[in-house]
Parts: sequence; structure tokens; C-alpha cells
Amino acid sequence: MEITAETRTDVTVVSISGTVDSGTAVALASTLRAHAENGGSHLVADLTHVDYMSSAGLRALLETVKEARQRGGDLRLASVQPNVLRVLDLSGFTKILKVFSTVAAAAASFTA
Amino acid sequence: MTEPAPLRLAMSGVATPETLEAIQAFVVEGCRKAGADEAATFDFRLAVDEACTNVAVHGYAGGGPGPIDVVLESDGARIRVSITDRGVPFRPELVAAPDLDAEAEDRLPGGLGWHLIRNLMDEIEYHSGPEFGNRLVIARQLRS
Repeated sequence: MEITAETRTDVTVVSISGTVDSGTAVALASTLRAHAENGGSHLVADLTHVDYMSSAGLRALLETVKEARQRGGDLRLASVQPNVLRVLDLSGFTKILKVFSTVAAAAASFTA
Repeated sequence: MTEPAPLRLAMSGVATPETLEAIQAFVVEGCRKAGADEAATFDFRLAVDEACTNVAVHGYAGGGPGPIDVVLESDGARIRVSITDRGVPFRPELVAAPDLDAEAEDRLPGGLGWHLIRNLMDEIEYHSGPEFGNRLVIARQLRS
């Protein structure tokens, strides 16, 4: 798994690629937490290149969205691949997280 | 297109993070050889990964990581995967179903792995015994 982040105005886009499982979710959670804590509580997770996510990844997303919302922000997801979207759906995460088809739409939703 | 042939593949290891990663690759490769479609391959990868992670995190909690054996079989129509370990027996009936309607603030992080296994597979059996340890068998069709 690889993670890169880019802050645009007041939205931080965290791009994740590869596999999010029990071996990588801790690194993802700590990266997302760091961005949420450092003032960038408007977070977009770009999942274009995430081909696999297990419940460990869901926990990382849950932890982050709680942290971001406590700080008045949010974590929103963009460009989720079909199999990963199915996991989010089965777990009820599409009810608690806003999902957008593109990063641009997710980023723009913070200023709408 | 030829009909998928019967298949049996096995791997054994010690339930470390590296083995969990290797098991994912083993399952994906096995599903492809069995002729599974992409969704079924993903479902088996995830269900087996969740089960094996539970073994590593809970089954072998407190002691060193112990043995884990994975067998993938296909009869050409269905894939069946059995996962055997020697850790603390799992009690599926004690795993609380996650509240899928709760707000994010009220959602608890646990129970999602087993919830996913139950939703992705259409056959689940679990047995514990002194001869073989704990064995989870999961199965579904290899095409959606």
C-alpha cells in the first residue's frame, strides 16, 4: 500500500493505492489521523487505486471519520472501485460515509 | 470455453502477517485456476483473509503465532476453502452482529470481519476438536 497526500485550499486529498488489510491498515489509520489532527479535517480519501479492503481498513476509515467530525470536518470517499464499494455497502459504511464518483466532486462538496 | 476442472490446492504456514499476505495470494491464484469470476475471487480473498486474521489476532493471542493450514477445493461449480488452526476455539454464536444503522459516532469497530464472511459465503461450517484443532469451512459458487 502507498499513501500520498495533497492539500488544496482547505481540503486534504489522501490518495491510497494497493491493498488495505490487517498488515497495512495501521499505517493508513495513523496517516489519516495525522492529517485530521493537523488542521486538515476536511479529508478526501481517493480510493481509485485501492483494489482490496478488509475490515481492518474499514476500522481505519471509521476511526478517521469520527476524529474528523469531532473537529468539525469530515472524511469523504472518492472513486471507490466496485468490489471495495460492495464491502462498504455490506458493512453499512455507505450510510455513514459520503461517497463521490470523483475526487473533484468530493473536494467540491466541502464548499458546497 | 472449457469447463473448469476439479482442483485441490493446499498451503501451510505460521499465522504471521507475512503468512496472511501469502494466503491472500494463494486464494486469488487458486480461484483463478478454478475458473472463478472476479467477484467470487474477491469474496474468497476477503472471507479467507478475515478468517485467518481472526486466527492470528484472537486465536493465537497471548502465545506465539501457531500453525494455520488452508485448503482450497473446487468441483468445477463451487469453491470450498477450509482453514485449520490450533488456537483458542472461536465461538461464532458469541460474535455480535454490527449495528449497520448506527451513526458513525456510535459504530463499534468489532464484528465486521465475521459479518462479511457470513454475507459473502453461502455455506459456513465451524468445528473444534482435539484431533484437528479448529476448522472453518466456507463455500460458494465460483461464478455469480
